[in-house]
Amino acid sequence: MKIKKILFVTKFEELCYDALSSLLTLTRASLEHVVFLNVIERDKVAMHRGSGYSKEEAVKLKETANIRFIDWAENLFEMGLEVGAYMEVGELIPEILKAVEKESPDLVVIGRSHKGPLEQLYSRSDVTELTRRMSIPILVFKHMTEDNIVPEKIFERPLLATTWSEASLSAQSYLSDMKEVIKEVHVMHVISEKELKKSSTHEVQKARREQRKKLDDLCDELEETGLKARAHVYVGDPAKEIEKAAREYQASLVILGGTGKSALMERWMGSIPQSIADKSVFPCLLIPASNS
Amino acid sequence: MSKKVLVVDDDPDVRTFVITVLEENQYTPLVAQDGIEGMEKIETENPDLVILDVLMPRGSGIRLYRSLKTDERYKTLPVIMLTGIALRSFLKSQKVLAEFKGGEVPIPDVYLEKPVEPEDLVEAIQKKLG
Repeated sequence: MKIKKILFVTKFEELCYDALSSLLTLTRASLEHVVFLNVIERDKVAMHRGSGYSKEEAVKLKETANIRFIDWAENLFEMGLEVGAYMEVGELIPEILKAVEKESPDLVVIGRSHKGPLEQLYSRSDVTELTRRMSIPILVFKHMTEDNIVPEKIFERPLLATTWSEASLSAQSYLSDMKEVIKEVHVMHVISEKELKKSSTHEVQKARREQRKKLDDLCDELEETGLKARAHVYVGDPAKEIEKAAREYQASLVILGGTGKSALMERWMGSIPQSIADKSVFPCLLIPASNS
Repeated sequence: MSKKVLVVDDDPDVRTFVITVLEENQYTPLVAQDGIEGMEKIETENPDLVILDVLMPRGSGIRLYRSLKTDERYKTLPVIMLTGIALRSFLKSQKVLAEFKGGEVPIPDVYLEKPVEPEDLVEAIQKKLG
């Protein structure tokens, strides 16, 4: 599954040209087209609650975005890429969905959700909302250091955290198609504490061995496509262990498959991939389940 | 019969501005919002001139310009570029595309950077269409 077209959603606060620039290594793999989207949220241009928004203010913000996009686009055009841009006044998620429908991108890139924990509890995060309503991969971009420096080569050392779900397995084909930009892939599986509760030491070791064997087979498949791959088994809370592994192996990106759970199930039970994408310090690539 | 001029631009304010200028000067305006719709209009409406933006959603003006100038049917169709993208970047992009995809294309007949004065636009149109 090749990433030929990216929809890059930016508010210019957390996702700027340095972030975009770190994705451009994908031109060595398959990237041909980048589409920018800036959504000016109505709150920013609202005059008074319930009385509409200031068109003048919206025009000013749109023009500001346009000037930034022109500057970025010139750089991308000079690289031979196709570039498009949208500046819209509205709500973030519906505007992203509209742009996705018009452009059919292979990947949507967004920044970390700006909603606070309390807001997320009632209204869900942007990431959760998008994964529920879209069936294409989402890259949740993070600045990995305190001084906000973006990793130069985000696809260089991905960590694929597999649950053996259909989505986790389809992540494999994304990796194979990005082999030109990947130096080494780490693949991991977390055996959850729940699975081990009633087990004896013997059974824990057996579970570890079984998972390791499956991971080794996965590594063999990846290596057959020309990638260098290493397997790791972790035990414990998946969200914490994935974060730990990403740190230990200096991952540049965490790749997670969607659960395929229904929206209602996710609302009540939560989703590990979405929770990691929201909270992790690492950029996260979420591959949706095909039934989402 | 008045000459048909196709305006390809995603910005409704720019489209309105150009349409007004065209109508005031007895040209028939046609409009498209992006490069893909622009190509469709060229094929169906057969305009005498195209005024083309560069940075647009769906298909950009860079690709549309290239498609026109490498297509036997449209390579002589006059094109006025009207854009915020610098000419230098436009030319570099065409050079890179020619290198990777083959097929050199000529530089645009007229390259106007936004914002444009109505009289400059009219002068450019008249120069191309008489």
